[in-house]
Amino acid sequence: MRLIGHGGKPLVERVISDKAAARKKIAGLKTMPASRQMATEAIGIAYGFFSPIEGFMGKADVEATCKKMELADGTVWSIPIVYDISNKEIADYGIKVGQSVLLTSDGHPLAIFDIDEIYTYNKEVIAQQVYGTKEEKHPGVARTYAYKDKFLGGKITLVNQPKVREPFTPYFLTPRQHRAKFAEKNWQRIVAHQTRNVPHSGHEWLMKHAFIAAHGEMPVEQMETMGKAISGVLVNCIVGEKRAGDYIDEAIVLTQDELRKAGYFREDIHMVSMTFWDMRYAGPREAVHHCIIRTNLGLTHHMFGRDHAGVGTYYHSYEAHHLLMSIPKEKLTITPIYVLEWAYCPHCGEVTCIGLCGHWKEMQKFSGTKIRSIIMDEVKPTRLIFRPEVFDVTMHSAKKYGFGSPFVTKEYLAKAKPAFSVGPL
Amino acid sequence: MAETYPINIWINEERFKALQDAGLAGLLKEELAGMKVLIVPCNKVQRDKVLQVYPMAKYDKATTKSIELLPKAVKDKIYAMVVKRKTLNVMDEFLSGKR
Repeated sequence: MRLIGHGGKPLVERVISDKAAARKKIAGLKTMPASRQMATEAIGIAYGFFSPIEGFMGKADVEATCKKMELADGTVWSIPIVYDISNKEIADYGIKVGQSVLLTSDGHPLAIFDIDEIYTYNKEVIAQQVYGTKEEKHPGVARTYAYKDKFLGGKITLVNQPKVREPFTPYFLTPRQHRAKFAEKNWQRIVAHQTRNVPHSGHEWLMKHAFIAAHGEMPVEQMETMGKAISGVLVNCIVGEKRAGDYIDEAIVLTQDELRKAGYFREDIHMVSMTFWDMRYAGPREAVHHCIIRTNLGLTHHMFGRDHAGVGTYYHSYEAHHLLMSIPKEKLTITPIYVLEWAYCPHCGEVTCIGLCGHWKEMQKFSGTKIRSIIMDEVKPTRLIFRPEVFDVTMHSAKKYGFGSPFVTKEYLAKAKPAFSVGPL
Repeated sequence: MAETYPINIWINEERFKALQDAGLAGLLKEELAGMKVLIVPCNKVQRDKVLQVYPMAKYDKATTKSIELLPKAVKDKIYAMVVKRKTLNVMDEFLSGKR
């Protein structure tokens, strides 16, 4: 069945599943190893996470993305998806426009890259227009400045599907597979919670708030019966490049799932999945990109809190909301749900929305840093702010996957196995 | 009043008992739904030294306005010093000899 993705365009699926056909297709092609970054993006393109783009962007799309926040054809697009390459690599691999090359990863075939274009682009222009700054300490800018001399544009076709390792295996779903799951669940409204965190109660209440807002005017009677929900929350964890001090991906995915397993969400209204994407920390522009990805997954709504996908003090707390509000509905069909912070109020004795509670002076705001500090001290937080089951899974993940720490350490960066690998075709 | 850059030491039962035995339970503050925390003050010089000696730590100026992400073993030592000296003003002694 033909599925529709972002921009009202058909969902991109450029995957050759038949191994014999794939082997035939790649016979005689030049091979070129893809970096981990580029392999991750190639996989995202081929499965349609970035529909409607079918490959790495050419110069016209990069130009339009930077300057107008759209593709050359006018489709809303906020972050360039580019393949960088050095002049030496172009010479060494004999790369020419009009050729197809076989990208490899882990030494094995990954994807066919039909090269339409070799071009240069001013990295400072990308930095300023996408990230709003030229400062290299911004991680997205640093990534941009680290790009090599030139870029290649052209379509990607996956010939060898990546193997996702445990414990991530059940959580990696392609856009088509996401949609099949939603159909199976009979969900008509699905709200995305974008995360790279182990959840505290503030996050949990944001999700509950977003669920209620997304369900909106839909009927509620059938929800009295377990298994009959028609709306759901998708926690879509971003798995990609990590920085020291981040939570390890294993802890993020497993603790988010624990919220449902431990009953804080009903079985029929909550689901966890993951998307491979290296965070750019582009704040408002990244929020638009998240809308694009989740539209392609088949979601109807997307939650946005304060400081969405930002870093440091580069963006105002609600800058992502302002940018999303400026985009016409027909250009970005997913509906944003804007949420305020939830905090603990000792007067009420509960976690509450700062937009509802009048005890402002007493309110104790959640701080991700403070909660990380409590966890580092190995102190079990009170259940009102951090569910005990979530704490237990966090510490279990630390032992099993994090070399003793639930946070990314030098040892984790050096020794942890990548979330996906590519085997022989 | 001079600005301080505190270190938050979160208190579990074991740490609480040692503080109680030392008659220092009154030093604790409550945050985040009743969690007990010992707030050890640092001045600017001490803060900079802490961040230099323990590069994994950071001063969170945006939200908590405190020095965070110090390893547990480091906080255990600071905490033990507070209990031993029966005062929160231990950072000069703690940092002495550290480069």
